Amino acid sequence: MIELFHVTKEYPGDAPALQDVTVAVGKGEFVFLTGASGAGKSTLLKLIFCDEPATSGQLLLFGRNVAKVSPRAIPYLRRKIGVVFQDFKLLPLRTVAQNVALPLEVQGLPDREIRRKVRLLLRSVGLEHRAGKLPPSLSGGEQQRVAVARALAADPALLLADEPTGNLDPERTLEVMELLSAANARGTTVVVATHDRSLLERYKRRVVMLERGRLVSDGDSVRRMAGEVR
Amino acid sequence: MNVRPVYFTRRALEGMARGPYVALVGTATVFVALFAVGLLAGVLGGAERVLSAWAGQVRISAYLAPGTDLAAARAAVAAAAPGLEVQAVPAAAALRQLSEELGDQAHVLDGVGPGVIPDAVDVLAPGISLPGARALAAALRALPGVADVDYGNAWLEKLETLVSRARLAAVALFAALAVATAVLVGNTLRLAVFARQEEIEILKLVGATDAFVSTPFLIEGLLQGLAGGALAVGALAGLHALLVPRLQAAVGVAGALRLTDTLPPALLLGLLGGGAAVGLLGSALAVMRSLRRA
Repeated sequence: MIELFHVTKEYPGDAPALQDVTVAVGKGEFVFLTGASGAGKSTLLKLIFCDEPATSGQLLLFGRNVAKVSPRAIPYLRRKIGVVFQDFKLLPLRTVAQNVALPLEVQGLPDREIRRKVRLLLRSVGLEHRAGKLPPSLSGGEQQRVAVARALAADPALLLADEPTGNLDPERTLEVMELLSAANARGTTVVVATHDRSLLERYKRRVVMLERGRLVSDGDSVRRMAGEVR
Repeated sequence: MNVRPVYFTRRALEGMARGPYVALVGTATVFVALFAVGLLAGVLGGAERVLSAWAGQVRISAYLAPGTDLAAARAAVAAAAPGLEVQAVPAAAALRQLSEELGDQAHVLDGVGPGVIPDAVDVLAPGISLPGARALAAALRALPGVADVDYGNAWLEKLETLVSRARLAAVALFAALAVATAVLVGNTLRLAVFARQEEIEILKLVGATDAFVSTPFLIEGLLQGLAGGALAVGALAGLHALLVPRLQAAVGVAGALRLTDTLPPALLLGLLGGGAAVGLLGSALAVMRSLRRA
């Protein structure tokens, strides 16, 4: 699904954001990407999302070398990826239903099909009754559930979440994590960037740890917590 | 990208409804710029029409040498000016007309005999151009018995100079206004696009192509340009209806001005098309810049 070979990402005038990272994520996996602030988690997600190119190394996504994908083809590649951000990135002047419908509109689905899918998605995140509301009138947890519903709208093969629970209280955090786990159970590959140790402890998943742009450990959370992986 | 005109038009209208102020500013900018261009073109067109009406009163006079046969000279002039009205003006008739024109001051002509004023042949040349008047005068001057030719060249030359300078000024103003319009409209639409930068970023996030993102903005630009152009056309037609009766009171010949003289259909269509083009171009430039940033 995702394969990185000796990937480095540098920004002019700064220390490398990623240095010689080699890692692979298989189909159907649930992976936590962790590390302190500035470790390179978000940068790695940006590379996977084709938002930025790697400075060196190779990144294969769905078996394709991202560096060789033409700019015109990138939107089509992105349609296979759902993304969730800490700050939700919802359009404040569009209703909850319209926000969730965006990826489906982009793909040109008929209106009736879009309405049907949006209803199902909002039901799955427990927000069917909020369909006509504007995002600013929702709580943070509700907004993040809308963002998850939008990320899952186009049935993506891969779901990337960058600190998806960073702005949420523990109860809302669990709600969002349950949605991501449910998506994973349905076959979606999930990569969650987080520095929240409690999540790693609660969910026994594979953990890839970055430190100052370098991959420092890769293993399951139980072994990592026990200090076996370094 | 699927071609979905209804969907994209709906999104464009929704976009304008969400940001009505920016849409109004865009429309108003196009309106002001096109109104200025249309006003300039209309005034110039009207002025040319009025000037050509004045030119219609041009009378070219061939003064005859003493002893020249007036009837023969008239025939020769008529042959040299085919299709134009030719009048023989004997010296006595000219003197009488002059006396009538002088009215109470006619006594200054006391003692002036017919021999002082030469016989003449007048050619009425409505709508003649200055080069045409020059050529006709030269042809008349070459006729036997013609001593001098007068075609009011002093004021006609000034008129021609005035019109050609006005044309040059109009071209320069058109160019300046076109550049100013493009810059103003481009900047206004860029503001509109900038205000929705977040929307562009999120659309790209969910896999929208550049065409999908930009099409509603292009339609918005087109609609704003058309609306601005239509408002300019309406305002110009209204101004024409308002001003021409007042102008007529001051300058009689202005009464002959019809709407199609000052604002011909080609100009009105040009303003509408120009509005649409400026709106489309402005939004295209703005959205391209924004897409590069997203």
